[in-house]
Amino acid sequence: MKIKIELFGAARDFAQDDFLELALPTKSNVKEVRENLLNFIQTKYPDNKNYLEIVKRSAFANEQNEIVQDDYALSDQSKLCIIPPVGGG
Amino acid sequence: MFHGKVIDASTGIISLDKAQEFITSEKCGASLFFIGTVRNHNNNKNVTGITYDSHDAIVEKSFKEIFDEAVQKLTLEHPCAFIEHTKGYVPLGGISIIIAVAAKHRSQVYELSRYIIEEIKKRTPIWKKEHYDDNESDWLKGNPVIDTKK
Repeated sequence: MKIKIELFGAARDFAQDDFLELALPTKSNVKEVRENLLNFIQTKYPDNKNYLEIVKRSAFANEQNEIVQDDYALSDQSKLCIIPPVGGG
Repeated sequence: MFHGKVIDASTGIISLDKAQEFITSEKCGASLFFIGTVRNHNNNKNVTGITYDSHDAIVEKSFKEIFDEAVQKLTLEHPCAFIEHTKGYVPLGGISIIIAVAAKHRSQVYELSRYIIEEIKKRTPIWKKEHYDDNESDWLKGNPVIDTKK
């Protein structure tokens, strides 16, 4: 299945567009999205430990604008937002 | 009463006049304005401006949740809050956030204002990219978001 991840903050630097599309096994969850993203970073930016740290410390939000946990189940064409560590004000 | 919004710097401006107009009430004897501005240094670098990124829908939801929590947790009479945060580029000295609060007594507005800014720092999805005088720029590290409903 395919899912789309909208990028925010420091994660915007992961791609030229404001989103990434990932191909995942069916019935994947947020934990597997994070693992897939870590693999993506290691492949595309092998020397960038900062990007890996961002993925490890990020939360994810669903289309209802709720923060979701690692066991949150996804389906084909699901959309998530990556929420890197925040620091407004 | 509550107002919370993200304002895109390319199309709008956050304004103290608007904040004051919103929180003014004959029931309240105290008002407090917190203004966040872009300062000229951070981590031994000369800052020339900051670009703020935001997940607008979650930010505005978060502002309301924080206000509602404050009303539950603190002892406040006739609480009112106006929160606006800028999105996009803010130059040196520019305003990034206004938190204007009103309540019956002064102790209540100090508590309410402090509660709101500290919670925004912890959990509201806003990000800063600092720009420096050597033409470099960097996203600040920030705090991992906590799920307050867990």
